[in-house]
Amino acid sequence: MAASKAIMRGPTIIKAEDDKTRQLNKNTLMAFSGEAGDTVQFAEFVQANVQLYSMRNDTELNPAAVANFVRGELARSLRSRSPYTVNLLLGGIDPTTQTPHLYWIDYLASLASVPYAAHGYAQYYCLSLLDKHHNPNIDLEQGMKLLGMCTDELKRRLPIDYKGVLVKIITKDGVKEVDFDNDKIVRSA
Amino acid sequence: MGSPFDINGGACVAMVGKDCVAIACDLRLGMQALTISNNFPKIFNFAPSTYLGLTGLATDVNTVSDLFRYKVNMYRLREERHISPQTLANLVSSSLYEKRFGPFFVSPVLAGINQTTGKPFICGFDSIGCIDFAKDFIVSGTASDQLFGTCEGLWEPDLGAEDLFETISQALLSAVDRDALSGWGAQVYIIEKDKVTQRLLKGRQD
Amino acid sequence: MDHQARETVGYSFSESTASGVKQHGFYPYTDNGGSTLGITGSDFAILAGDTRSTSGYNINSRMVPKVFKIGGDDETGEGANIVLSVVGFAADGTALKERLDTVVRMYKYQHGKPMTVSACAQRLSTILYQKRFFPYYVHAILAGLDEEGKGALYSYDPVGSYEREQCRAAGAAASLIMPFLDNQVNFKNQYIPGSGEGHALAAKKAEPLPLETVKGLVRDAFTSAVERHIEVGDNLQMVIITKDGIQEVYHPLKKD
Repeated sequence: MAASKAIMRGPTIIKAEDDKTRQLNKNTLMAFSGEAGDTVQFAEFVQANVQLYSMRNDTELNPAAVANFVRGELARSLRSRSPYTVNLLLGGIDPTTQTPHLYWIDYLASLASVPYAAHGYAQYYCLSLLDKHHNPNIDLEQGMKLLGMCTDELKRRLPIDYKGVLVKIITKDGVKEVDFDNDKIVRSA
Repeated sequence: MGSPFDINGGACVAMVGKDCVAIACDLRLGMQALTISNNFPKIFNFAPSTYLGLTGLATDVNTVSDLFRYKVNMYRLREERHISPQTLANLVSSSLYEKRFGPFFVSPVLAGINQTTGKPFICGFDSIGCIDFAKDFIVSGTASDQLFGTCEGLWEPDLGAEDLFETISQALLSAVDRDALSGWGAQVYIIEKDKVTQRLLKGRQD
Repeated sequence: MDHQARETVGYSFSESTASGVKQHGFYPYTDNGGSTLGITGSDFAILAGDTRSTSGYNINSRMVPKVFKIGGDDETGEGANIVLSVVGFAADGTALKERLDTVVRMYKYQHGKPMTVSACAQRLSTILYQKRFFPYYVHAILAGLDEEGKGALYSYDPVGSYEREQCRAAGAAASLIMPFLDNQVNFKNQYIPGSGEGHALAAKKAEPLPLETVKGLVRDAFTSAVERHIEVGDNLQMVIITKDGIQEVYHPLKKD
């Protein structure tokens, strides 16, 4: 039996070649959006801490543990003098059970385990598509096709050019960037 | 932005029956009008027959449930016994009051059976830990008005486990159907002296 | 609530003057609390309301009826076949009732026949919408028997949007009563046991209830509302419309 695969969708790109994701450990990837300075600062802070844990204990944290750690740090920050304004999507494969996980975390540090998610304007355009076409047994090929439908819809409806998306997939073998056709022209309806 | 209590939405209710208690919650997590998840349970288990429901700001539902998991685990290690509903009620109360001037935006509901006395116990709290000891039912969340109406109309004393399940389910489902911020399925726990039944209700998916 | 209403309505007769000068505001609306409820059956309609009148935490009176006979005799209301309930701002409620009553009676004098409930319902909507930008601050419910003799119930928002329904709760405790009615009158969330496996269960169909059952539901709804809402209480006024005329009964409610 093949292990099912998680599909991560990197957020939209404002800088033409910006990478709004950070790999937290071998099998977890985090995508982020929010206030300009906060995002990278927070992402790299948790990235460093998750990696520190892996070095000290010689084990990879599973996605649930990483998600709860990230949420904890964001929740702590929320009630501080200057909270981070960061929205996160955290995807990964559990190294022991080989099951995919996806977590939705907003800047208030609300954590929800979900089958598919989006942040920002993408929510309004993509969630309805995902509601209709996603099913729990979806494979990578179908997932990429669905992602294509989402980006098409964004191109069709969003008044801004978000310079395409950066797509990374997480499998039991780790994280890898995949080619994605961002040059496809989609006409507005 | 509105009150922190109704950003994410959600509803919770607990009821007393004859030698049993029930606690139920909806499954929605939203941000204002947008539904993010339809699988966000708000009831957490802290001992074999003790459950705590948390409605309000989702981040604080996460934080407070994690906090009490830690506190109750520490209690169990130190005392080498399970926490009783009454003790948990006082733990919740004092923990929430610690944050008197910067509260967690949650309205907890507690339900359980005291294993020493065998008596059912329910109570509710405000966000700063004031306990509401009710003999009949406790409601909380964005559908609390609706729940007060349905519970007051449907509940009666000394219901058996099956009748209590029917009552709490009808009360919750009817209430959340009149609240835009709650619903999308429900979870119900029926707690008897040495048996807990968990049921998932589909409810309206809008 | 009071403050919210003021902010959202934002109505004031005073012109804004230079800052620092003390201003007097006149707020043309008050919330007088209370709740109303209407349910129809196959050959009857019931309109009910509590008789408490409040402003803020004060009780103005324990006996201010909210349900009125429309188009009948001036004093006794005799000969009427339509009933109106109004909840919200009592002064607007009274004004609205007086206007509709006049309209329905004028109709009878001019046409030589009583106004049908459906015609009266449309007329009430027009009256409300005529004051679109200074509304009657009330949630009205109109009840009677339709041309086929079936119970008819129409509910309104303050500016005249209306709909015919089987049941409707309005006012302070509407949010408490309405889900209870959904469940007990329209059988929402109720399914027929053994009619199918899992989610294939057949929903229990709503059908007109007998008068005695409905009376019981109305009393249960109000005793429940009284228990949990401070603006509801004192007495329950119940007006029952059948082909034999209009019957009005009062039941005591808790006065705390």
